[in-house]
Amino acid sequence: MDKSRPAAPSRRRLLSLAAATGVATALGGLPAFTATAAPQRPTDSTPLKGSSRNRLWWQAPADEHSMIEQGLPVGNGRLGALASNDPGRELLLITDATMWTGGLNDTLDSDGQFPYGRDDFGSFTLLARLTVDIPDHDLSAVSGYRRTLDLAQGVIGTSYVRSGVTYERQVFASRPDDAIVLHFTQSGGGRYTGTVTLDGTHEETVQGTSFGAAFPNGLRYGAAVKAYGTGGSVRVKGALIEFSGCKDLTVVVSGGTNYAPDAASHYRDPSLDPEKLARTKVAAAAAHPADTLLRTHVADHKALFEQLDLSLGTSSAEQRSLDTWERIRARARDDVPDPELEAAYLQFGRYLMISGSRGSLPLNLQGLWLDGNDPDWMGDYHTDINIQMNYWMADRAGLSQSFDALTDYCLAQFPSWRKLTHDLFNDPRNRYRNSTGKVAGWAVAFSTNIHGGSGWWWHPAGNAWLCASLWEHYEFTRSRSHLTRIYPLLKSACEFWEARLITTTLPGTSKEVLVDDSDWSPEHGPQDAKGITYAQELVWALFDNYRTAARELKKDSAYAKTIGGLQDRLYLPKVSERTGWLEEWMSPDNLGETTHRHLSPLIGLFPGDRIRPDESTPPEIVKGATALLTARGMESFGWANAWRSLCWARLKNAENAYQLIVNNLRPSTDGGNGSAPNLFDIYEVEKGRGIFQIDANFGTPAAMIEMLLYSRPGHLELLPALPDAWAKSGSVTGVGARGGFVVDLRWRDGRPTEAYIRSVGGRTTTVAYGRSSRTVTLKPGASVTLRDFTR
Amino acid sequence: MRSSSYAPTAPARRSLRALLVLALTAATAAALPSAQAATPTPTTAAATSAASTSALAAKPYMGWSSWSMQSSKYPGLNPDGDYSYLTEKNVLKQADALAAKLKPFGYEYVNLDAGWWMDQAWKPGFDAYGRQKADPGRFPRGMKPVADHIHGKGLKAGIYLPVGLQKEAYGEGKVPIWNAGDCTTADVVYGDLRTTNGWDSAYKLDFSDPCAQKYVDSQARLFADWGYDFLKLDGVGPGSGKNGDQYDNVADVAAWNKAIAATGRPIHLEVSWSLDIGRIADWKKYSNGWRIDTDVECYCNTLVSWENSVDDRWDDLPGWTRHAGPGGWNDLDSLDVGNGDMDGLTKAERQSYATLWAIAKSPLYTGDDLTKLDSYGVSLLTNREVIALNQGSMPPARPITPSDPQQVWAAKNADGSYTVALFNLADRPAAVSADWAALGFTGKAAVRDLWNRENLGTYKDKVTQALPAHGSRLFTVTPRGTALTTTGYEAEAAANTLGGNASVADCPACSGGKKVGNLYVGGSLRFNDVVVAKAGTYQVKVAYVSGDPRSVEVSANGNGPTSHKFPSTGDWGTAETVSVPVSLKAGANTITFDSGSGYAPDIDRIDVPKSS
Repeated sequence: MDKSRPAAPSRRRLLSLAAATGVATALGGLPAFTATAAPQRPTDSTPLKGSSRNRLWWQAPADEHSMIEQGLPVGNGRLGALASNDPGRELLLITDATMWTGGLNDTLDSDGQFPYGRDDFGSFTLLARLTVDIPDHDLSAVSGYRRTLDLAQGVIGTSYVRSGVTYERQVFASRPDDAIVLHFTQSGGGRYTGTVTLDGTHEETVQGTSFGAAFPNGLRYGAAVKAYGTGGSVRVKGALIEFSGCKDLTVVVSGGTNYAPDAASHYRDPSLDPEKLARTKVAAAAAHPADTLLRTHVADHKALFEQLDLSLGTSSAEQRSLDTWERIRARARDDVPDPELEAAYLQFGRYLMISGSRGSLPLNLQGLWLDGNDPDWMGDYHTDINIQMNYWMADRAGLSQSFDALTDYCLAQFPSWRKLTHDLFNDPRNRYRNSTGKVAGWAVAFSTNIHGGSGWWWHPAGNAWLCASLWEHYEFTRSRSHLTRIYPLLKSACEFWEARLITTTLPGTSKEVLVDDSDWSPEHGPQDAKGITYAQELVWALFDNYRTAARELKKDSAYAKTIGGLQDRLYLPKVSERTGWLEEWMSPDNLGETTHRHLSPLIGLFPGDRIRPDESTPPEIVKGATALLTARGMESFGWANAWRSLCWARLKNAENAYQLIVNNLRPSTDGGNGSAPNLFDIYEVEKGRGIFQIDANFGTPAAMIEMLLYSRPGHLELLPALPDAWAKSGSVTGVGARGGFVVDLRWRDGRPTEAYIRSVGGRTTTVAYGRSSRTVTLKPGASVTLRDFTR
Repeated sequence: MRSSSYAPTAPARRSLRALLVLALTAATAAALPSAQAATPTPTTAAATSAASTSALAAKPYMGWSSWSMQSSKYPGLNPDGDYSYLTEKNVLKQADALAAKLKPFGYEYVNLDAGWWMDQAWKPGFDAYGRQKADPGRFPRGMKPVADHIHGKGLKAGIYLPVGLQKEAYGEGKVPIWNAGDCTTADVVYGDLRTTNGWDSAYKLDFSDPCAQKYVDSQARLFADWGYDFLKLDGVGPGSGKNGDQYDNVADVAAWNKAIAATGRPIHLEVSWSLDIGRIADWKKYSNGWRIDTDVECYCNTLVSWENSVDDRWDDLPGWTRHAGPGGWNDLDSLDVGNGDMDGLTKAERQSYATLWAIAKSPLYTGDDLTKLDSYGVSLLTNREVIALNQGSMPPARPITPSDPQQVWAAKNADGSYTVALFNLADRPAAVSADWAALGFTGKAAVRDLWNRENLGTYKDKVTQALPAHGSRLFTVTPRGTALTTTGYEAEAAANTLGGNASVADCPACSGGKKVGNLYVGGSLRFNDVVVAKAGTYQVKVAYVSGDPRSVEVSANGNGPTSHKFPSTGDWGTAETVSVPVSLKAGANTITFDSGSGYAPDIDRIDVPKSS
């Protein structure tokens, strides 16, 4: 956790630390939707004002049928919504991260793999739908419409003029008050008249202002709404709230489920009545004026948001005059860098992470946001890139606290994953079973749900990749408590591989090596390949990390030695003489799709760190990796572009890394790959049909940070891949560095002018720029400022 | 009316429309002088209609038509079978409602559509002279009392006929023609009984025999005697999905023009449907209005639907725009915006529908149930400022931007202000801007919102509004700035670079007498030295010629192209302009028009504002 991290001398930062600590304490097996302590209210009463740098804006609201491209997201880490901001009909599609159908899903299909349907495996679904109808404010009747998303404050704003009166509305999702708040105000003598409607999306019956129901899987859920205003009347009438002649209006909505992150209780808290709790929560929030709720929320949100600040340069007045969507289109059309837009895109990713990953389940394929109950791939957790990519940004971009949701998830699923592995993995019908006949530890399939279950095909190396992410968080934070928590997962994954690895003799030699059994390199080529690079690299990293963990925790030294022995015998990939590429399948032949989206064989380049463009790696390996990355191309899906960008950043090819970011900033049209008007990344499933997949919204910012700072324990490198577009001048503060540091960095004319390095647990590190390097030794909490960098 | 028991089925309509487009492409109408103004000027070309000498169609007519409700499958409308809504009782009920609710706003025609001579099984009835006879089931008192009742309300009465001699009236050629000596039906049609009209439901009249004119005279006489003030002549070709000599009904329309004149009663003659724009001179000469497009009705569970086919008009109308004027108007078909759910449209769609009809100066006749207008429908049908645009001296508006999903139409009013409509034809909300530069001025302008009846204040450089899906805004923009100064670049200038098959061609209507054409499949035109002082987005006015709507990719300085669809200029001898936003840098720029893989308009010249 963040406890060792020094707070900047601001009250907000102190507040954030308190909040973050509170989160960690609250999570010991308690349900995600639970009674919370009275929020700490800020005493500051100065007017809130954001900065245009961190504000996105649009000149049109969302269409009810295009919410995933046009709706604006809010979220308090658990409870989320997409808002349409239509003047005459505000629509919120409300989600709770735990609102899932399905179950343990422990009956395999005839091929020994997992079922993957919405009833058996399950799906992430909507919690509720809230509409606020204001009939006189039809969009065709208002002028000067504008809506904004203030990333720094975490507030959606809408304003427009109707018959000379300016109407404004704010929507935000408060974590301290555990509710979504809509606040409608006006200046000029206007009045609000209309209705508030709360509906379920699963055919629930709404009684008055709340509803409660249960899925066939036993998950209970509920939501409640409360409205209050001044100057007019607000009253409940049947299943509606009618308001009439109000000078201002506040609508508070909350809801959740009785999901509990605990395998022992089968992921339920039977004592929790979600509808009742939701009613309690909205009543508690409604006891306060909207302004108090807003200030409480903004203080909470800003504390996290301000942990990183970024400038990539200055945009032109012309660029600044455009709304976000026009700007996205102009960026693509004119191919002129728009550094402020590019920085805002990164901050949007951070906004999504703060909004979508705090105190509940981790971000799934759609983060926390839905426009219907049938998201592609169930809106689940994909373990062969997507969930990992979602969290590459967290530590790098100053949001270490948001990472905890992933750790909590893995730990809560672990007992169930282990049991399913024990019971099902060596099913004779499973083509990926261990031919050794042994089974131990845990494994997952390509998809996982929230019920301890898996979906689709077994994915042996998925455990190692999840462990790599968990381990990397430790490297960034040096949090001993985190290491202690994840250690059982790492060890159990090692046990799985100890049972699975098979011995083979390398052709033409007598050298015996250990390789992965029959497996599928995601998600192309042969489905029964042995020794796929993807698994070899991940298992090598798993073993390496486990040994370090055991050493640092002074545990299991004998077992660590055993694992070290296995690691020494692991086969590692070579470069194909035929293709010149790093091999993917222990074969000189290209057995898959040359430009395939996945970069599985390059996992040792990124997120792994075994392949480095320096003396530590044989040059032919770097060359083979570069050749493979080149062959994979520069045009793919958003997340695939982000991964490519990260790899090019690792290879210090700034312009390729940047181009891939630019590619993701292209506007999505007709469902094509790119950014939607709301900046959600769109994945083209088929021609003309694009869906939202959030990973690129996090992977792309991760790449941007990786271009500014490379780190591994004991070594930092400043501006490893700074593109010309950002070179003139810029700065970033709060970047996490592996090894336990946080770095602030300024640059001018492509060169660092100042680096401020704080230890959050790290002690000694080299700090390099170009070919020059210096060594810094700090005590935890101490800092140093470095200047005078030359290449 | 288009559909009937012998009408083509719905899917055929699209292919018919495609044929029409091909016909338009091939058409070579006489070149007309074209104004190079940014927007149509108030001095509309004088219509050549014979009728223009009278007061007929001095303004687009307003009223009600029976067809939308007849053609709909909306529950309860046609309980006695398809098209059964048309009865004396229903017509008079609607006439009464029109008189009570809409007459004060200028609505005056009550028009009966197809079927007044058909029984509920759609079997026609004729008098002893082969003329359509009132069906006693529908109109038990005959047609005259209907007209009398309508007149009694201070309204005008309209009636309907398909063109030609209906097959069932032929009577083996022995039926005498009224007041025509020995003429019989055998004498009025061709000996080979060739069929005509959009449904092939009639034998084509052969006007080389004077008996044919006598037959038309006899029908006109009947309508005059009954007291009708309006005739919709339907199924007229070329058009109505047909072309070729057999379906050329220009002689029929001319005969009707003559026959009506002979009655001495002013009867408005409207021809229908999807008329061939290549014969516009004839339609103007002989009629008071022409349906430019297919039916607006959807023949479904509502009266109309957005996609089938309200939204076609935005693309199909621009080629016709300049032909509208006193005496003859572009008829966009019924305006069904008054009934809410029964219309089959969203509120935004209803407003856009009413906006286009009003600014196009289309006749404004609703097909709604006037006894059940909702309040929003009433507000759309009775907005006096909007009606004034349609009925006043303003010329019809036309697009001043390309026909992209977000588009702007405008017309210059006599007082120097502009009527400006913003449209968002996309399926989701979008911001739409009208740039003053595209109207030809710069600086500030006052904006009045006509639908909302309020002044929005003063806007600099442009007005931008958020529009719902399929939405619109309608403004009067009064310039407070100065005229825009521009620099012109001729497409044919030697300094430009032509790519692919692009070539310079003569063009009498074009600036400099030349244009660049053959912009197809890789053809391109690059202006090489477009100089501006400051970087910015410029509204580049493009003069072009395009007999049908065509797209072109526009780019500056080799950057990413933006595809824009240019509206039809109606033929290949007329130039029009649209303004295209182009992002330019300070100093010299290139601007490229590239056909891409399709067919692009011919380019005459561009005018680049001196400031963005």
